[in-house]
Amino acid sequence: MRDEKINHILASEEALIPSSGFVSAVMERIREDAAAPPPIPFPWKRFVPGAVLAMGGLGWGAVELTRQAIKAARSAQPVLLQIPDSLLHPMETAGWVALALGISWASWMVARRAGGESRLL
Amino acid sequence: MSHPTETQVPSQTARNAAEDLADVDRVLGGNAAAFEGIVQRWQGPLVNMAWRYCRDRSRAEEMAQDAFIRAWRNLGQWRRESSFSTWLFALAANVFRNELKRVPAMTLPMDEVAEPSGPATQGDALDESMRQEAVRKAVLALPMRYREPVLLFYFHEMDVGAAAQTMKLPEGTVKARLSRARELLRRRFPHLAQEHAAMESRREA
Repeated sequence: MRDEKINHILASEEALIPSSGFVSAVMERIREDAAAPPPIPFPWKRFVPGAVLAMGGLGWGAVELTRQAIKAARSAQPVLLQIPDSLLHPMETAGWVALALGISWASWMVARRAGGESRLL
Repeated sequence: MSHPTETQVPSQTARNAAEDLADVDRVLGGNAAAFEGIVQRWQGPLVNMAWRYCRDRSRAEEMAQDAFIRAWRNLGQWRRESSFSTWLFALAANVFRNELKRVPAMTLPMDEVAEPSGPATQGDALDESMRQEAVRKAVLALPMRYREPVLLFYFHEMDVGAAAQTMKLPEGTVKARLSRARELLRRRFPHLAQEHAAMESRREA
């Protein structure tokens, strides 16, 4: 098919006239929107100090952990961190849960991608 | 809802520019009712643009309505570097694209769009009409990256620049995608190529 033929077909499309109530329907929604109270802004003033504090705490923890690790490594102790036995089992369980979550997330991503391509999802 | 007409609308753009500017200033000044002028002027183009995206009349009106609401809410973001219509069409294209991502238009895969069995005979208006409808359905079955340039190119009366501005893409990209889309359509409708060749030879004879 030559371009002229495609142009002829696609350019000769009939135009639609919107329904008679279209403008009033839009303006009704506009009036509702104008009358609605403005959306509550995100409380940045409260969020930022909290976030900074949390980040600082995490950073401090990371630095402290690294310092302890370096100190332990220098003293050539075979065990760097003394984890009590009571904590060891829950940590192992948490590891398995994290692994399961990771696998679930990965399979969801794969399914979503496949679904997106085939328009199934 | 609608009655087809032969007119296509983006050519009204220039003469509406001053009125758009005045209405936008009034709306931004607090007069919400002034938005009605904008809706009156652009309802036709936006409904027709939405129609090209979904080919469903009632859904086209809903999508156009959503585009107007989005325009109303974001009117202050129009920087006036481009015309109001350019801004409005780009915003509407974004709304329509997102809406079709959420709920895709009812389309057949391109391979399943039926092509009439042979070249049309002269004067066979019904067959020609079916053929044209098949081509339009095939456009809707194109992947979005090729479909949108085609829809907007013909909506903007074959103005690549306007289509590129609406999609916020470089003209070269739009031209390349248009070319690829036409190639896909040519491949899908080989009979139309034969018909065109026959028409050309008849003309020469």
